[in-house]
Amino acid sequence: MADVVVIGVGNRMMGDDAVGPIVIDRLAGRLPESVALVESVGDATHLLDTWRDARLTVVVDAVVSGGVPGSVHRVEGKMGLPSSWRSASTHLIGVVEAIELGGAVDMLPDELVVYGIEIGTVSPGVELAPDIAAAADEVVELVVAEMAESGRRYLVSGTR
Amino acid sequence: MTNAREISVEYLARVEGEGSMRVKVVDDKIEDVEFSIFEPPRFFEAFMRGRPHTEAPDITARICGICPVAYQMSAVHAMEDAFGATVGGSLRELRRLLYCGEWIESHALHIYLLHAPDFLGYESGIHMAADHREVVEQGLRLKKAGNAIVGLVGGREIHPINVRVGGFYRVPTKRELEAMVPELEWARDAAAATIRFVGGFTFPDADMDFEFVSLSHPDEYPFNEGRIVSNKGLDLAISEYNDYFVEQHVERSNALHSQIRERGAYHVGPLARYANNFEKLTPFAQELALEAGLGTKVANPFKSIVVRAVEVLYAVEESLRIIDSYMQPTEPYVSYTAAEGEGHGATEAPRGLLYHRYRIHDDGRIADAQIVPPTAQNQLTIESDLRFVLEGHLHLPDDELSWVLEQSIRNYDPCISCATHFLDLTVERG
Repeated sequence: MADVVVIGVGNRMMGDDAVGPIVIDRLAGRLPESVALVESVGDATHLLDTWRDARLTVVVDAVVSGGVPGSVHRVEGKMGLPSSWRSASTHLIGVVEAIELGGAVDMLPDELVVYGIEIGTVSPGVELAPDIAAAADEVVELVVAEMAESGRRYLVSGTR
Repeated sequence: MTNAREISVEYLARVEGEGSMRVKVVDDKIEDVEFSIFEPPRFFEAFMRGRPHTEAPDITARICGICPVAYQMSAVHAMEDAFGATVGGSLRELRRLLYCGEWIESHALHIYLLHAPDFLGYESGIHMAADHREVVEQGLRLKKAGNAIVGLVGGREIHPINVRVGGFYRVPTKRELEAMVPELEWARDAAAATIRFVGGFTFPDADMDFEFVSLSHPDEYPFNEGRIVSNKGLDLAISEYNDYFVEQHVERSNALHSQIRERGAYHVGPLARYANNFEKLTPFAQELALEAGLGTKVANPFKSIVVRAVEVLYAVEESLRIIDSYMQPTEPYVSYTAAEGEGHGATEAPRGLLYHRYRIHDDGRIADAQIVPPTAQNQLTIESDLRFVLEGHLHLPDDELSWVLEQSIRNYDPCISCATHFLDLTVERG
């Protein structure tokens, strides 16, 4: 797996929960080719395998923590995620658990950044609500900017 | 004079997806037990209407992140049934191999990260990892062996994209499959160790009089094909599913519950497959099952963790057999002609029987679809287990009672992500 990975977590058939994968779609062509773009349903072991050997991993996921839908949170993942994020989206054995488990068995990347996009309720569907679609665009720009800064560190010196 | 107490648990830990449970107890008598799942398959059924039949495998695979292969398999078999296509030989074997991969990964996740913590007294797999790191690592590695099969045969590990009506888009080479053998040989030992490990847990007494419903095939432990049978005399073709099973309202509940017509609740999943097909397991899997103290039937749902472990061993051995005898087919799929018709497919998802029915227009578009996931079929049985467990544990304080009830739901590895968002567990006592 690449030194730098961006993972979009979610289910494309579950309405606003698709926001993670859609951010990945919109990042295509916006980042250096050496950055891996990965879609995930949030399966913890898939996440661990995807990021365990990476230097920098950025995860984009829908969260339900009672905030305003469309608001964007950025968290340094290795510090642990807010407990209010637990049980967000349709994949319960998900990002929160993967980070805790990765910490317990030494399977975390060197640096882990999580963007949480606040969504309302999750119900089946194939369209993002307008406020969530706008938040997806916002996160795309934030990730691009993030890569221009911290990503450069890993990508330029990235020989191992 | 009543003292009302209420417990509310925000979500049900370690159940894949979410659901809700409500329990009402008045004067130490159980008034009501309701385990509800919301059913997105209804959305998917509607979404598929009018779309090309070729899209059904990929659309339905999105219903569940943990068992996409099961949805794909039930969908392609239903389509092939509608068009009179038969997939045999190496392509059929590859489908079994793909299914083995899904069973290994799904069961390993449930055994090690979700279910074992109940028996070892941990709040979660993460808490367990602090004290039993090597156990959790073994579980993760075993799951990864399953993921690798799904990745290779299915095209990618998550939402496999290589399955199509008639077969696959691309078939693996013998060499590609053989590259997995060393890890699968490790997995065989790990699976055997898993049976011994979980077989040593302490189980509550909870033998139930289940009607076990599963596929049964004359030559093999069932994945994709066979007749639908039960230990109480059912024996029907997959196409007769709707003649024998019905989703109907039960008293005091808004949700539809799957039932055997005029008979009631039934049980699908590992315990049912095992009870109906024990003699089709490999000799080694049979031997270790008996050594772990299981009979040829297991009626205690808490022991489902051991049966899952036996099925992991079977799936690993079956994978090795298929790879060993594999001859790469010349074509990755069999040709067929789409035509107006109706088709039925039922396959054994990790959690149990998954039934699909489609009616197809003459131009190959889907006229209508019906999907009955295993957890919906187990709903009534789960409620009945909850009643049983409640009766024996009413003396417990609410938090401990909740914990026991959650455990009895986890026995079913319910995939409620084919279901609702938050699980609210409410115990009312009057």
